[in-house]
Amino acid sequence: MRKTVSAAIPFVVVTLLVEGLVRAGWIQAFLVPPPSAVFQTILRDWPELSEAFAKTSAGAILGFLLSSLAGVAIAVFLSSSRRVQDAFYPYAVFFQTVPIIAIAPLLVIWFGYGLRTVVASAFIASIFPVIANTLDGILSTDPALRDLFRLYRASPAATLWKLRFPAALPQILTGLRIAGGLAVIGAIVGEFLGGQGLGSVIDIARTQQRTDKVFAAVLLASVLGLALFGLINIVSRLVLRSWHVSEQS
Amino acid sequence: MNLDRRSFLKTIPAAGLLAGCGKASKIRLALNWKPDPEFGGFYAADFSKHGLDVEILPGGAGTPTVQMIGAGSAEFGIVAADDALVARAQKNDIVALFAVFQTNPMGIMAHASRKLKSIEDVLKGGTLAMQSGLPYARILRKKFAFDRVKVVPSTGGDLTSFLKDENFAQQCFVMDEPLHAKRQGVEVTVFPVSDMGYNPYTTMLAVNGETLRKNPDLAKNMVDAVREGWRTYLDNPASANARMHALNPTVELESFAESAVAQRSLIEANPLGKMTRERWETLAAQLKELGDIPQVPPVEQAFRDL
Repeated sequence: MRKTVSAAIPFVVVTLLVEGLVRAGWIQAFLVPPPSAVFQTILRDWPELSEAFAKTSAGAILGFLLSSLAGVAIAVFLSSSRRVQDAFYPYAVFFQTVPIIAIAPLLVIWFGYGLRTVVASAFIASIFPVIANTLDGILSTDPALRDLFRLYRASPAATLWKLRFPAALPQILTGLRIAGGLAVIGAIVGEFLGGQGLGSVIDIARTQQRTDKVFAAVLLASVLGLALFGLINIVSRLVLRSWHVSEQS
Repeated sequence: MNLDRRSFLKTIPAAGLLAGCGKASKIRLALNWKPDPEFGGFYAADFSKHGLDVEILPGGAGTPTVQMIGAGSAEFGIVAADDALVARAQKNDIVALFAVFQTNPMGIMAHASRKLKSIEDVLKGGTLAMQSGLPYARILRKKFAFDRVKVVPSTGGDLTSFLKDENFAQQCFVMDEPLHAKRQGVEVTVFPVSDMGYNPYTTMLAVNGETLRKNPDLAKNMVDAVREGWRTYLDNPASANARMHALNPTVELESFAESAVAQRSLIEANPLGKMTRERWETLAAQLKELGDIPQVPPVEQAFRDL
């Protein structure tokens, strides 16, 4: 509760400030819509916005789940040997640098209009931080513990699942936190061309010069990002509470 | 003299003023797309002859020229009449001075093999890629049933889906995409949006109302230069095309030449760029009907024939 209150203060202050500046005429309303207009738009267009929100959520969450699973799996594979890493890691970087807006039209052609394109776009946008953080975590296992496992002749699989993977969890979760926000961005970009969802609402509102509606959709997108972030934090607390310093105190 | 950064910066405009003594100050003209034939007359214009030093700022997808003019980040900009009226309703004082396209160049194109007779036929099946937020799209939606066609976002000129799928129709500029499709070996039927009764002026030269009041001569000189530029371009587009091609080399010079010819009939008028009160009133009534503007404004404030 205390946390929520602390987090709400900057939001309220900035909102009131912008509202004041617009009303006083310091900022013209066609450049930045007054927050009151944005909130009215959210209320008035709620049926449309909530449906769009649900669609974007589905696309972003599915893309995020896929990139979490695939990202961890790829990182485990890469960690198997230095050779494998040298051979394949550069290609993982591809996902980080691919300008998603440029290839979105191709995604539409490969996956068709609708959810699959949105999921693919969210996946591509969000997988890299999962791979990079997981790999980093797996490779930085405490050498003393690794020696201990070796001493007891633990198999490579056992070392992976009982030592390296759990030790990497804090980094994996950091990767997922970054990936969550990126999945939302990826989903919305996919929706610009694939249709539906908040991306489509933003695209249409822009052509109508409805900055209030653009901001309303952006606000909902950030709510989705926050929700994903909160969800990962809960998971993080559950799995790290008993042993990792970041979730204690 | 000990100059700190701030006072040094202050001296720059003063120095510019001195250097510019007797010369024109730089005027910015913001385009809403990359250099191509729809802006040919602006690139053909001899601004210096009219005492103007104009810098043309190329744009891209979604360049907010309306807001740029309103905020003063460009003195002049390219705006469509419907956008201008919506902006004016939002207290952004945009005034149109010269309308390049007398006929709205937007259209919907479909494969000729489908033998469609009207826009209504396009809506009877297949896929239609369009910008659903545009007024014409919403007018269509009010007029016809959309339950049999699958509407998807505009591809922004990309033809891949269109070429691949015979039942794919898409929003286009009548002087651009249909020619590209033909070059790829696909015959098309084009249904101009203007035939549906929605015909706003587009590619208008517009200015901030305040600039117009303070400096009417500037606007007048600008319009004179632009009108001459368009006359030149319509008669002989080659040199301006070469200049625009250098700035926008992705599009082939040959396709610039074709578009320049194809758009001629949409632009020709006497005099070039003219606007009438009736056309503005029709548009205002349509936008009011759509709910884009709260009431029909006094349209004579929205444009000035110079």
